[in-house]
Amino acid sequence: MTAEQGQTVRLEIDSELANTTLIAMAVRGLCAMTTLSPVEVNRVELCVVEIVNNAIEHAYGYEKGHKVEVGVGLQKSTLHLTISDWGKPMDEGKLGAGDSPVDPVDPDDPAAWLCSGRGLTIVQSLMDKVEYQIDGDKNSFIMSKQIRS
Amino acid sequence: MPFESKSEAGYTIVSIDETRLDASISELFRVYLFDQIDNGSNNLVVDLSLVRFMDSSGLGALVAALKKMGGEGKLKLAGAQPAVLDLFNLTSMDKLFTIIPSVAEAIEEK
Repeated sequence: MTAEQGQTVRLEIDSELANTTLIAMAVRGLCAMTTLSPVEVNRVELCVVEIVNNAIEHAYGYEKGHKVEVGVGLQKSTLHLTISDWGKPMDEGKLGAGDSPVDPVDPDDPAAWLCSGRGLTIVQSLMDKVEYQIDGDKNSFIMSKQIRS
Repeated sequence: MPFESKSEAGYTIVSIDETRLDASISELFRVYLFDQIDNGSNNLVVDLSLVRFMDSSGLGALVAALKKMGGEGKLKLAGAQPAVLDLFNLTSMDKLFTIIPSVAEAIEEK
């Protein structure tokens, strides 16, 4: 398999939830360079926001002053997104737990309605591939989406 | 505060003066909705017409409010934009909520 040539850009924000919008808008702009449809661009934005929020909330415990880095790789047929933090690693079991599609909801069972914890499941259902890597003190959530040529 | 409410035709209309209902304001939004319910509003219409983006935390705030109502009264969502509707469809939350095109129709609908 030959590697596709592409372009990459790296974005960085401080670990504050209000900064997630900056990443979201930048990624939307980059997606506009691709053949992704408006619905797909919205979904990519949603996935990026969910994972950046996860890093701020869970890796850094909402503490400001830490780095969240987002790498965007545009290849001819694939969009690669890598969200990295240097905080507490994610429990890797969480990724496997969300393998299944979004669970159907039972309108008659309010006790089972989730008020949180949907982010990873959404991301896994929308992206073509997701993986989690720990390299020293750097934790990276890597996801990719196929692009029509 | 980016949220406002007014009473109309027996409903409390909650409007969101933000284009993004995300984790930076979702807890504030949940508390605002809980306050409305605690103050006796059990027929709520949430006007989402200005919201262009919602993440899972925004959705979670709405689900929390619906749970808090405990089957008493109504919580309707009005004016949801395409990306917001897509989130509800993706998560099957469209089965929990009454989603109406506009506030006016939400008030008229019984």
